[in-house]
Amino acid sequence: MTLSRESHTSTSNSILPQSANLLTENGKFKKSMASALPSGDQGAAEANSGNGGQMQKKPFTFNEIVLRNRLTALVVDGDNFCRLLEQGILQAYGLETQSVNNGDAAVELIASGAKFDLILIDMLLPILDGVEATRRIRAMGMRCKMLGVTACSGERERQAFLAAGVDMFVEKPLGPEILIPVLRELDGQV
Amino acid sequence: MRRQLQTMRKSLFDQGYLDEQFVQLEELQDDANPNFVEEVVTLYYRDSGRIILNIEQALERKPFDFNKLDAYMHQFKGSSSSIGAKKVKAESTLFREYCRSRNGEGCMRTFQQLKKEYATLRRKLEAYFQLARQAGPVETACRPK
Repeated sequence: MTLSRESHTSTSNSILPQSANLLTENGKFKKSMASALPSGDQGAAEANSGNGGQMQKKPFTFNEIVLRNRLTALVVDGDNFCRLLEQGILQAYGLETQSVNNGDAAVELIASGAKFDLILIDMLLPILDGVEATRRIRAMGMRCKMLGVTACSGERERQAFLAAGVDMFVEKPLGPEILIPVLRELDGQV
Repeated sequence: MRRQLQTMRKSLFDQGYLDEQFVQLEELQDDANPNFVEEVVTLYYRDSGRIILNIEQALERKPFDFNKLDAYMHQFKGSSSSIGAKKVKAESTLFREYCRSRNGEGCMRTFQQLKKEYATLRRKLEAYFQLARQAGPVETACRPK
């Protein structure tokens, strides 16, 4: 099933439409790691739905990890908004990122010799789906951490994606409770 | 006004419109970009509006192409969950289930409900952000290490 035939590859400084204004002049995502300053109740960031956003201790927040090493990531998502947001969140953690909007572009990028520490890949993608793209990426010998980050939630999808070679199957959205332990492991902090 | 803002925010969670993913977005907001969450939500509504239109057009064509409808909704569900749109996400999941069971009536019914939730959330968030801008930036502090 093809939703778009355009192949799109972007690096971290050319991803957002001008109107979004989510990037600095250097193309960095607008997030300072020095502070986490949520709006709302006296600066409290913790909330759970259904309890009015009351403060509860959560194990992870975005600013609980500082990377010691240079880490790179590839985001593969056919949805413009999700791709931008995931890429931006990874940049906020300090990763260097690239993104593509279909599975074929991801495979081509890896085949061209590009190496990444982390790949986030959606399941339903234009041109070449995430399962097959993952299979081909693994067949090329790429052993990096791959997270299948998808809106799919069924057990069959989960098994298929894991069988193709992702290390984790994550239902969107990708939160810090999943991402921070992964980044700690990649950064050698574990 | 700040108390009013807090009450409004609380109700968005209490009434199930938003989930903790919205809080994660708030954590990315800082002094340098105090309107970050509003900008993300604005981008979401712009992008997802196109998907809604695609689904509407697909539902006008008979027989339904359930695979195409499912693919569109997969995309929509993903971006909705990324801003913490809890009710919208729930309707998206239901729609996809109807696609898989090839239930056209279920799809149409769910889509109407989804559009209502989508529009309601938009209204509530617009009101929230407007009040937030009037209330001014929150005093900030670094988290203790």
